[in-house]
Amino acid sequence: MSGIQKFACWTLAAIVLGGIALSIIVPADYTVQFRETPNAVPTHQHLLGTDELGRDRLARVLYGTRISLLLAPAAAFLSTLMAALIGVVSGYFGSWCERLALAVTDLVLSLPWLFLMLAVRAVLPLNVSPLTSVVITFLLLGLLGWAASARVLCTGTRVLRNSDFILQARASGLHGFRLLAVHIIPNLKPVLYAQFLISVPVFILSEANLGILGLGVAEPLPSWGSLLRELEGWGGFSTEPWKLAPMLLLILVVSCFQVILAREEVSA
Amino acid sequence: MKRRSILAFLIFVLVLTRVLSYAQSGDELRFYLRSDPKTFNPLLVADDASETIRYLTGGVLVRVNRQTQQLQPELATAWKLSKDGKSISFNLREHVYFSDGTPFSAQDVAYTVQHLMDPAVHSPTGDSFRSGSGEVRTDVPSPNRITISFPAPVAGMDKLFDHVAVLSSRSPKQEMAVLGPFYVADYKSGSYVLLKRNPNYWKRDSAGRQLPYLNSIRMDIQSNRDIEELKFRRGEIDLVNSLDSEYYDRLASTSAKLLHDAGPSLDSEQMWFNQVGNAPIPAYKKEWFRSTNFRRAISLGINRADLCRVVFALHARPAVGPVSPANKFWFNTKLQPQSFDPASALRFLQQDGFRREGSTLRDRDGHPVEFSIITNSGNKYRERMTTMIQLDLGNLGIHVNVVTLDFPSLIERITQSFNYEAALLGLVNDDLDPNAQMNVWLSSAENHQWNPSEKSPETNWEAEIDRLMRAQPDEGAGVGH
Amino acid sequence: MNTSEPLLSISLSVGYRGKSAVLRNVALEIAPGEVLGLVGQSGSGKSTLALAILRLLELKRGRAEGTANFQGRDLIALKESELRRIRGKEIGLVLQSPLSSLNPALRIGTQMFEAWGAHARGPSERRRHSVLEALASVSLPADDVFLQRYPSQISVGQAQRVLIAMAVLHRPSLLIADEPTSALDVITQSEILALFGKLNKEMGMAVLYISHDLLSVASLCHRIAILHEGVIVECGRVAQIFGYPVHPYTQRLVQAMPDKTALIARAPVARLAASAAVPT
Repeated sequence: MSGIQKFACWTLAAIVLGGIALSIIVPADYTVQFRETPNAVPTHQHLLGTDELGRDRLARVLYGTRISLLLAPAAAFLSTLMAALIGVVSGYFGSWCERLALAVTDLVLSLPWLFLMLAVRAVLPLNVSPLTSVVITFLLLGLLGWAASARVLCTGTRVLRNSDFILQARASGLHGFRLLAVHIIPNLKPVLYAQFLISVPVFILSEANLGILGLGVAEPLPSWGSLLRELEGWGGFSTEPWKLAPMLLLILVVSCFQVILAREEVSA
Repeated sequence: MKRRSILAFLIFVLVLTRVLSYAQSGDELRFYLRSDPKTFNPLLVADDASETIRYLTGGVLVRVNRQTQQLQPELATAWKLSKDGKSISFNLREHVYFSDGTPFSAQDVAYTVQHLMDPAVHSPTGDSFRSGSGEVRTDVPSPNRITISFPAPVAGMDKLFDHVAVLSSRSPKQEMAVLGPFYVADYKSGSYVLLKRNPNYWKRDSAGRQLPYLNSIRMDIQSNRDIEELKFRRGEIDLVNSLDSEYYDRLASTSAKLLHDAGPSLDSEQMWFNQVGNAPIPAYKKEWFRSTNFRRAISLGINRADLCRVVFALHARPAVGPVSPANKFWFNTKLQPQSFDPASALRFLQQDGFRREGSTLRDRDGHPVEFSIITNSGNKYRERMTTMIQLDLGNLGIHVNVVTLDFPSLIERITQSFNYEAALLGLVNDDLDPNAQMNVWLSSAENHQWNPSEKSPETNWEAEIDRLMRAQPDEGAGVGH
Repeated sequence: MNTSEPLLSISLSVGYRGKSAVLRNVALEIAPGEVLGLVGQSGSGKSTLALAILRLLELKRGRAEGTANFQGRDLIALKESELRRIRGKEIGLVLQSPLSSLNPALRIGTQMFEAWGAHARGPSERRRHSVLEALASVSLPADDVFLQRYPSQISVGQAQRVLIAMAVLHRPSLLIADEPTSALDVITQSEILALFGKLNKEMGMAVLYISHDLLSVASLCHRIAILHEGVIVECGRVAQIFGYPVHPYTQRLVQAMPDKTALIARAPVARLAASAAVPT
């Protein structure tokens, strides 16, 4: 692991631990509404000011960090895992297995998600605790976000399957899942990393959009998604720069993931 | 009001910029429509954009002055309601011509009314005239006199003619021939509507100069309020219709001189509980929601003043009933909004056997008091109100879950499946007369939101409201001008 | 050598789906410890034969018919699970392009360990010992530094040696080498050829050496089979093929071979000598 990767690791750890530590230190609870001072500018009491209901922004950003940073990578991991399983297995075993998997993938890609999500919302009870609803949301995102990369992985696997080194490995007596795991998966790492990396911010933001359908993070729980949604149509970059805090955190975290997961340099 | 009306009459703000400076200059007025007009046929208007076009192009017999709320003569110089409230007679202005030059007569009014009431036309405007079954008769004794007779009394009938733009019975241009100050000169779907000055408009100013002063009105179709605000600031558009409080304050901070606060609108925001008998919710919750004490406690437990101040930046007012203080006819100044009083709220709850255990309120059978409030997503004011209500009621030990739903799902829940517990939504009123809200207040009405389409009133208070609402058209009859 | 029981005796017809047969009734025998050269021009089906023996054609949608008797078992009729125990353990395969035959994403060590693990169980120390021994036997640096390398970090010649080491890891009784030197420069070519000779002598393994280059085969093999358009046209001892080629194709092959002595003594003479051998 290179220096910069270590640095990224430490930064991530600092964000997670700092988030927990600071939420103990920060005086305000993320739900408390200081109704006398909505939309306040930063003061020593509210280091990032307050939101439109007078809630402490720092407390909300910190708690939102905990929610999003825990759940978005988990969902991204889930979707990557599913993409890998479905894409690689179908690409490797080929024939009917591949045709079935591609048919399912096409179906998933062509489904009208909006209506599916509406159906999900209709089936779920209205009285769901905010935390449960967040978990359900990320689980949904994870379960549904695999299709596009499964296709890429399937094609990639098919190319690999016909490669000389797989032939050589088979000639050495290797076969089945061992061959798949040892010889094929490592060659797909870039695609898998990309799927994971792209999914993290995408899921963080889609979670916010699902709020439109009554899924997603329910009030009063904050998440990066709901905090970022506040920035819609906002033009106060110079006058209220502290509102950018969740955006900066998101960029920082995504860059850290990028650095940590970057493929090990192979010098020619 | 038994219904938990939470308050908030939004301030209707009309922003006038250089309208006055344009007034005499024969120039073009520019503003935005937020969506395409669905129709140019004045009888079929149901949306805001079409209503704007109708207001600017349609000639009406009488007009409710939007400022004084008084009825004023337009194409009719005089009118008289019959004692039984069933018919109305108009004396019509002479030497009036449609925008295409076709002359105007009582024949055109008769033609318009027949079309308005034709069931095949499905005119939303016509719906408000429909009081009983039977034919509508029109008698034209002379070219400038007409009597219209309805089968049953129509409440506030004279004012309803404010919405009836007269069509030409003879013009080959049909509904595009108009009697109003402007006519539709050009329309590009999704892009703009261009109105031009009607050269045949009958009205003149006190100096005898023909109105309108403006040569044209250009309405670009733009739904993005941020763009609207920006263009307004840059002077590319001249007015913004119904600003919401956030935009108002933003504009006020930069260009206060351009703003004119026109006061509260007729619209309200309210929260209600599902009281539908066969709703798919637990029986013990139905019992809560049907209890007057419970609803009164909720009403007392919500800090309306905070909602007005935090969510609407004081551009809204706490209310107790459905009538806005903007409604000069019907607003009762003696009715004071309920104050925020959690202690009384708890007393009401205790009367019903509710008790607090730690931070949780439980009913007499020990069920923790938890319910969800649904509201439409994307409306940040409602989302914020719900979140504040969540916190207020949390202080009473009531656990509120906020669920934002897309509008169709929300409507499906409150009108079809009744699978919800409480809802927060608004009512849009464009009529001063409560008669226009019959569809909400009558227990048999479909829009009687908390328990629609009751076969007979299920509660005494609903029966009382039904009685009062039915008595009201008869009261109104005979009050002519 | 013809007297003993053959190690491998094949009689195969191979075709790809939707195409005419690539190999027709190819019959070959290899005795234990024998080096058999299979020579043919590109496209003659040499590589197909190598894959067909190990039944690795299926992924390429090829079909082999006939028999391939290996130590009393018919490889064509064998169950896939039984065949897997033969691949790499009793028959080793070396493919022609060394770089693409190594997995670019895996360290040399990992690939070697995997190949070992396919047929052996045991403590990692024994595994490491076997792998290092195999590397040493092909004259590669037998150390951990080399095991840590990626294929892109070694030379083509080294890569070919790695493949050979992998093929001989389990001391198979037959080694099939499919044009193992075609991607190499001349000096490395001769080194690899010498290596095959050495492995054959030291480990006593039979080699099926497939090449288009008659000359390189000549120095290594005991016998040579000539494959032309999917058919074995001639098969015999080296001296016989070179001295008395019977089939016209063989004759052309032999004739096309550069004669070292002639090259040294200048071309025209060599040409005359060669043309004299051509029957008209």
